[in-house]
Amino acid sequence: MESKETLREALLAARTTIDTLRTENAHAKLLLDTLETLLVADFDHDPFAEIFTSLRSVFSFTGVKVLAADESAPDSLICVAADPSELIGMRWPVGTFFARVLNGRVTAALTNEKFEEWQALDSRLLSADQPVLYLPMAVRDRRGLLMLLRDVGDEGFDRSHVALARKFSVLASAAFAALHSRQREEESQRLRQLTTKLRESERALAYRANYDELTGLPNRTMIEERVTTAIRSLPPKGHLALAFIDLDNFKRVNDFYNHSVGDGLLVAVTERIKASIRSSDVLARLGGDEFVLLITPTEQVDHIKRAVERITEQLKLPFMIEGNELFTSASIGVSIFPDHGTDYDALRRNADVAMYRSKKRASGGIAYFDATADDTSATQMQQEQRLRAAVREQRFRCAFQPKIDIRKRALVGFEALIRWIDEKGLVRPPGHFIGMASDLGLLDDITGFVLREAVAALGQFDPVFGGRTRISINIAAKQASNQAFMESFIDGIAATGHAERLMLEITEEAMIQPDPFQSEILPALRQKGISVSIDDFGTGYSSFSVLADITADELKVDRSFISAIHQRSRSQSILKAVESLGSALGLPIVAEGVETADELNFLFRETGISMVQGYHIARPMFPKDLIDHWRAHHHRLDRDLSVLSAA
Amino acid sequence: MVEVRSYVVSAPETEAALESLDAKIAASDVAPSLAYVFYGSGHDDSVIHAFLSRRFPGLPVIGGTSCAGVMNEERVWDAHSIGMLLIEDSDGDYGAAAAPLGPDAAATAAELLTRALDNAGCAGELPELIWIYQAPGREEQTIAGLRSIVGDRCPIIGGSSADDTVAGDWRQLGPDGPMTEGLVVAVLFSSGGIGFAFQGGYEPTGKSGVVSHIEGDGTGPRSGRKVVSIDDQPAAQVYNDWIGGMLDAKMAEGGNILADTTMFPLGIDNGEIDGVTQYLLVHPDAVTPGAGLSTFATLTEGTRVYGMCGNKQRLVERAGRVAASAASALDGGVDNLAGGLIVYCAGCKLAVGDLMAGVSGQVATSFEGQPFLGCFTFGEQGHTLSRNMHGNLMISAIAFGR
Repeated sequence: MESKETLREALLAARTTIDTLRTENAHAKLLLDTLETLLVADFDHDPFAEIFTSLRSVFSFTGVKVLAADESAPDSLICVAADPSELIGMRWPVGTFFARVLNGRVTAALTNEKFEEWQALDSRLLSADQPVLYLPMAVRDRRGLLMLLRDVGDEGFDRSHVALARKFSVLASAAFAALHSRQREEESQRLRQLTTKLRESERALAYRANYDELTGLPNRTMIEERVTTAIRSLPPKGHLALAFIDLDNFKRVNDFYNHSVGDGLLVAVTERIKASIRSSDVLARLGGDEFVLLITPTEQVDHIKRAVERITEQLKLPFMIEGNELFTSASIGVSIFPDHGTDYDALRRNADVAMYRSKKRASGGIAYFDATADDTSATQMQQEQRLRAAVREQRFRCAFQPKIDIRKRALVGFEALIRWIDEKGLVRPPGHFIGMASDLGLLDDITGFVLREAVAALGQFDPVFGGRTRISINIAAKQASNQAFMESFIDGIAATGHAERLMLEITEEAMIQPDPFQSEILPALRQKGISVSIDDFGTGYSSFSVLADITADELKVDRSFISAIHQRSRSQSILKAVESLGSALGLPIVAEGVETADELNFLFRETGISMVQGYHIARPMFPKDLIDHWRAHHHRLDRDLSVLSAA
Repeated sequence: MVEVRSYVVSAPETEAALESLDAKIAASDVAPSLAYVFYGSGHDDSVIHAFLSRRFPGLPVIGGTSCAGVMNEERVWDAHSIGMLLIEDSDGDYGAAAAPLGPDAAATAAELLTRALDNAGCAGELPELIWIYQAPGREEQTIAGLRSIVGDRCPIIGGSSADDTVAGDWRQLGPDGPMTEGLVVAVLFSSGGIGFAFQGGYEPTGKSGVVSHIEGDGTGPRSGRKVVSIDDQPAAQVYNDWIGGMLDAKMAEGGNILADTTMFPLGIDNGEIDGVTQYLLVHPDAVTPGAGLSTFATLTEGTRVYGMCGNKQRLVERAGRVAASAASALDGGVDNLAGGLIVYCAGCKLAVGDLMAGVSGQVATSFEGQPFLGCFTFGEQGHTLSRNMHGNLMISAIAFGR
């Protein structure tokens, strides 16, 4: 498998190639247009206006001058054509610089001040600070040069302009010569043959730059142009539609068979869709298994619906690819101009959002953009993309919340709590993304990150808190029952060499599952010396008989029972019962969510619970902040607990 | 028509080496328009300069010390080597100028560009390419100075001179002689065209953090090469955590970590291509007092830095790919190649070690046996994503068209 580095370089190379092809295509068109203009021009016809138009499309200039040798003054040039035309007739001396240009040098000026030809210039129409591109161009039967000018302050011409100007200069000079030479007919014939060859090259270049090599369909750049043109051509109140077509489970075809079969399927899908659409509609391939269909013209939504449904049905029929019978389907999202967007970007984006909604509902479906529903979908899709990027780039940090033993007045452990640091540097708590991460299958990566952070944090905490604290890592119920993940994760913990310092917090709900948790996973955890905490106790549906079979190292009472415990007699009763249960099972109890001094006081005085966690002790913080906070504030807590002890 | 020739010799004594070099040059009939010359830091620059002045009076010269030798199409040469690349192009124009960087490196660079253009007889003209060689430390400023004149309209390619042992013994060689804290600027107007490529490798590890403090005075986001903290924690500590504690032994005492960190540079987001991030590499070179980190490229407060990792074999193969990319950028591609010039990071060379022969071999293959010269530097300058920039652990290649 290629390394990511190789793929990244391949992408850079591919982009460079595409950009080069498109540039060369544009350049070839310019050269050919100029050549054709000159070849068909009459002897007395002034072709400059058309040449300037062609040049402007590529070089982007605001002024142009054509200087030719002044027959009345050998060492000067006279302006014979220009835009603006007020410059016609202006004379220029030929100094060292112009002599070099006349001899074939193409130059983009950094500044014209250095050229003696400008130093004698007296004109309100020109400034030495203007960016200028100079190129030789024989004009009629005289030596000459072309100056392309931009406004003062505009970006100067660059080396790509110089390269193109060299080619233009040669062709244009030859064409002008042909216009007036005695062997005009022969020269013209030769140039026509050259033009034909160049046209063929131009067509080949244009094809490579605008069409997908595998399917022959327009590529993403081309379809954008087609849609833009179609929008412009629509009559008032006209409609068109963009359908975003994404093959379902295409990756499985590549993985199960091979890329050749995958490519074959893409070609077959292309042919089948093309057979289902009109000649005015345009199918394009964006890349991978994504296609876009431009449906135009269309006046009725019903027509769009019929067209898209036809495609959906056709794609559900079996394909025979290299002797394999394959089934596929496509999720399609549709946006309609102008209701769902008035330019290509908006239409494509909204069709994509609609397709996404379709895919989430079920494979092989169709969805039409709905601003209300798809706003949410679009936002959610963006969120998901951002979360995927965050996982890819590991833009997370762990905050840690301490657990203390209020009887021994000692810090005994920490709970690791993941935070997502988004692109703007905002810290997002797990409630904002854990559910989405679980749905997207990203939770295991995030949990792996937490493990690495926890081990790193031990290095920071040990010098301050001693080497006997434990860090708890939360495991979701879905993960706890995933034997493959748990086995891998347990191995990962063991590999850190700190298994005895780590504890997994697993919810009561997950722990009571007989298979595979109790039968396979819990024994593996015990075998590696990894501690287990029953989290959120009291919120699940465990029976006492099941609890009797679980071996754990602590039991965390859910915060709902601790909140205002000093005022709620029912919670007090339940807590007493949990305490008894813990005592019977030999399980230390941790009271979570202690947020007030009253709650802490009650736990200390009225229960035998030793371990507590909550905002009243300390909120979750990043390691350095936690250490600084502890150093600054733990004396206060120590004092409060001393008072409680003495009372 | 452009012709390129490379000549490399090796001998501990500079005079003896130059005698061999002279013999090689004399055996070919060459009238160069520009000379690149690189050599191991044990050689005597003044003697080399005197030789060049005598052998090719008035020839624009650019070069300097290269870490532990040079390479060419034959092989990688040892620390006693002197290498020369001669460009013969009677239809082109070439010029060079050099000076100490002085207190204002940007202004010096701009001034030298103007002088180099004057020396080329091309005052006021945009060159096809600017090639620079300088002392390490202020590369971003020199590029800023050059960009103040040419922007990104032409590529600025080059390297930061290196010595053999990272002891600060690097020198630069220009038309007027050697310097220790200097900049040499050459302008090229090639009649055969020039292709170029500038690429790093490495992949993000997933670790990242925001540069929170750069050493220095003043208000506003600071830029510099002494990173005090990342995410408000000591920079070296954060970095050491990212690389699994590889620098544990050096954290207390500090010191040079160049060799340790070649496979684990930092990266900064350098833009995207089709949604895929491209990274510019920054090489940490020392742990400073207070567990700070010094780097071979400038960082700015508020910038997110990413942990990156590399692989020896890929460092070998990458050189060939970059050379091929430069050659393919020529009109007519590699079929039109006259020769090339490679700037390869000295840090990568030290990391690659005994696989270096593969590097010169890969480049020679990509250049289809045409002559080239490669130098090993402590910083690389090049043009990518339409911008001129300075980076570390990069490879810069130029290909001269015929």
